[in-house]
Amino acid sequence: MQLHGDQLRLQALAREFTATHIIPYAMEYDRKGEFPLFVVEEAKKAGLICMAVPKKFGGAEYDSVTQSLVVEEWAYGCAGFATTLSGNGLSSYPLLIAGTDEQKKLYFTPIVAGGLGAFSLTEPGAGSDAGSCKATAKRVGDEYVLNGVKCFCTTGSYAKVYVIFASTDLSMGVKGLSAFVVERERAGLSIGSVEHKLGIRSSNTIELILRDVRIPADRLLGKEGDGMKIAMKTLDMARPMVASIGVGVARRALDECVKYLCTGKPGQMVQFTLADMEIQIEAARALVRHALSLKDAGLPYSKEAAVAKTFATDTAMHVCAAAQHLLGSNAFSSESVVQKLLRDAKVLQIYEGTNQVQRMVIAGQVLREEALKQAAAAAGR
Amino acid sequence: MSYILTEEQQLIGQSAKEFAKEVLEPTAVELDRSGLFPKAAIKGLAGYDFLGLLLPAQVGGVGAGFVSYVTVIETLARFCPAVTSIVNNHVLAAHAIQQWGNEAQKQQYLPALAKGDVLGAVAACECGPAGITDTGVLTAVQQGNTYVLNGSRRFVKNAGEAGLYVCFAITDATAKPKASTAFIVDARTPGLIVGSKQDTMGLRGCPVADLTFNSVTVPGTAVLGVPNKGAAMIAEILAVAAVAEAAQTVGIVQTAVEHAAAYAKQRVQFGRPIGSFQAIQALLANVAANCHATRLAVFDAAAAIELGQSFLAEAAMVKLLALHLGQDSLIDVVQVEGGYGYSEEMTLARLFRDIAGTNLLDAPADFPEQIIAASLA
Repeated sequence: MQLHGDQLRLQALAREFTATHIIPYAMEYDRKGEFPLFVVEEAKKAGLICMAVPKKFGGAEYDSVTQSLVVEEWAYGCAGFATTLSGNGLSSYPLLIAGTDEQKKLYFTPIVAGGLGAFSLTEPGAGSDAGSCKATAKRVGDEYVLNGVKCFCTTGSYAKVYVIFASTDLSMGVKGLSAFVVERERAGLSIGSVEHKLGIRSSNTIELILRDVRIPADRLLGKEGDGMKIAMKTLDMARPMVASIGVGVARRALDECVKYLCTGKPGQMVQFTLADMEIQIEAARALVRHALSLKDAGLPYSKEAAVAKTFATDTAMHVCAAAQHLLGSNAFSSESVVQKLLRDAKVLQIYEGTNQVQRMVIAGQVLREEALKQAAAAAGR
Repeated sequence: MSYILTEEQQLIGQSAKEFAKEVLEPTAVELDRSGLFPKAAIKGLAGYDFLGLLLPAQVGGVGAGFVSYVTVIETLARFCPAVTSIVNNHVLAAHAIQQWGNEAQKQQYLPALAKGDVLGAVAACECGPAGITDTGVLTAVQQGNTYVLNGSRRFVKNAGEAGLYVCFAITDATAKPKASTAFIVDARTPGLIVGSKQDTMGLRGCPVADLTFNSVTVPGTAVLGVPNKGAAMIAEILAVAAVAEAAQTVGIVQTAVEHAAAYAKQRVQFGRPIGSFQAIQALLANVAANCHATRLAVFDAAAAIELGQSFLAEAAMVKLLALHLGQDSLIDVVQVEGGYGYSEEMTLARLFRDIAGTNLLDAPADFPEQIIAASLA
């Protein structure tokens, strides 16, 4: 797939942004587990913080392929920084899917001003099974009152606005799940424990506590019960971006190997390992662009998004493991970028749906497509 | 495994388990956090005679065989991989002196190593198979009755805590390939400088540092084995290390897969424990089967070492299996626990970091595949 001029220009900009604002700081912020607020500010200046936001609301409104180019570059520098910076994309998607103009304005205004948004679906008892959320949103007059505990909320401590999923009717199960826009300053919304993670340590992951959080009824996205649909569409949009993080991480791991090895005379086993890395990276990137070009063309892409996410993040994981093996003891030192890449890569197989969940999605679609084909053939006989 | 373990081997394994549960398990998390050398644990291991397990009774050892040893290593690794790495490198040094030392050297060094009064270390690290050139070169020049060592060794386990180092230095650079000689170097020898302790991704608590030799002068009696015959010794030492480290890998993976299985049993999603899903069962089953196969290969190679048979190819096969088993298994089992598995509050994140070091430190310059292929022709 050929990139056009604007895309190439933005890719070059993102590459420079990464070299200037991410790579020099990534190791330090990982070590300290510190949130890189400064890079959010820089991304705002570079016009990269609201890539998904429509022009109408002051955003850049880049197409998805273009956004993925930027995300890959960020991830080349640091998957943790990339998770933070692309979080505004993730948390914007529910608005793009189901938001009214008023809701979009409410949500996008702080984001365009350089603020951060956060998406909060997961609960301690609702991970892969997102439909089993126990947090509730009770309609009282012209307000909703939210109660419950959400977890693994990315950027939760720093967000100005959240999209929070809660059940408006627990008896309805998945069909009772609803999505709400909630501002940070709402009384009763507080930050619980902060996760101490294996990797992407500069990214902020928190428990979100909702205690009688009252919000106007017009903060509901779509209708009551639309939550699961919105969540699934959001994840469709987010998965190719996670895949792009995987491509960036894997590309960095390969580069770290090549940097060391190009001056020596690497033997054939090393060479073939490098070749396998490159094969997987190229294939992963092609899958990402394929899924997103379908999306940009308005075509169905849910399965392709899951395929890209699974392949690219499995690739990131295995390329990083192979890189560490090639570099040996050197890559076991905390000063080595490669050990960080390995720790970071692991989360990519987990968040936005584990790769097991992706395989459920993919298999479901493959089987459904064939069943439909057979039904159509039977009907035509 | 009981069908090939003797009663004595089982008893040694049992006492290792009791010790590890009582002493190592409660401190493993704190050790990972602090990274401080686990003096008390090492003293405890000495008290249980694990540090002299392979050494003969004449020098204060237990006189157990290598099969017992890998049983102990797997067991210790199930509870604390970092301490296990310390033990492995110590025992490797003692094993080298027992294997190649003359009577005087054995009498001088082995009793203290057996009792754990002195910690040993082998500085054979070649830092991996990819031909990276900055691995540190160490040379020794003979001057009369002494040798003068100059250069460095990188990523030496037990560095700074060890009382003696078994190290290999190039003594004939004109030979092809360059010939090296093994030396026993007292840690207090002037000119031997231990670099600052490396901060490592995992196995925290096992000291790792670079050694610098600034005209370190040792007597001719420090030569271990035959001068200029170090290459074969390195190959053998790294092969022994590979088997012991594979046992460590098996222990880590066994703990990890059991942890994930226990989690899968109690974690309910979609209205049932996730362990009841075929995908999770398949994942756990594959890890467990690979772990079992590697364990059998470890015992096979260990038996060859114990019986004095050739074992270089078997050890390389074990190394290859352990390489695949280790990182891949941890990558897989973390999936079972999802976001919780990624949290440092849980055990798997630590094991994920530990497994990398288990297979990376002491990585030989050759791929195990090369050794195996050479053995087939």
